[in-house]
Amino acid sequence: MSTNAKDRTGKGTQPVTGAPPLLLAAAWLIPGLGHWILGKRVRAVVFAVVIVSAFVTGILIQGELGTPRPGEPFSWLATLACLGNGLLYVVRLLWVNGLHGVFSGAFPYGILGGGDPVAAGFAYGNTFLYTGGLMNLLVVLDVADIARGEKD
Amino acid sequence: MVDHLLLMLWHALLVAVFFAFLWRRSPRDRGLLFLKTFLIMVLGAIALGWLMYPFP
Repeated sequence: MSTNAKDRTGKGTQPVTGAPPLLLAAAWLIPGLGHWILGKRVRAVVFAVVIVSAFVTGILIQGELGTPRPGEPFSWLATLACLGNGLLYVVRLLWVNGLHGVFSGAFPYGILGGGDPVAAGFAYGNTFLYTGGLMNLLVVLDVADIARGEKD
Repeated sequence: MVDHLLLMLWHALLVAVFFAFLWRRSPRDRGLLFLKTFLIMVLGAIALGWLMYPFP
């Protein structure tokens, strides 16, 4: 979809094209990769370090990745937030469940998120995991804006 | 042993760094936004904790 970008006088300037889907997928899959591809190297490294740090912290203090649960609609929000971590989320899920455990007959339900509910850091760990995922989703949006030329 | 204050500081640090680099371009602007965001999160959390103190 293309629209004309308008300057402040309201006159059309040049066509604004959408960001390449593969670029956005790469930005989601590996935190910081989208900015790295676009040449924003410093930001790429900072975002990667921040998001990976949040994720690792969440795992280390026994947080649980959000997974869909039957009868709990808010679990889908938690899943979406954690899914924002990209490959980190996928790898952790496979680590906890194994390939067969993820794609069992009850899919998408029945997937374990890891963590320890009785651990002292459980709730904090969840927060770090959600925050990391949501930050990466913002990073993907930022990549889209930069790719479209709307931002530097 | 999980230190709650340390975790809060670490979380505030990560979020403040993130938004400083997401929303600002010059080092000075980034530094200012980082400080503002970090202090608001940490001091705000401490203030809220004290406000909730009288309640069970």
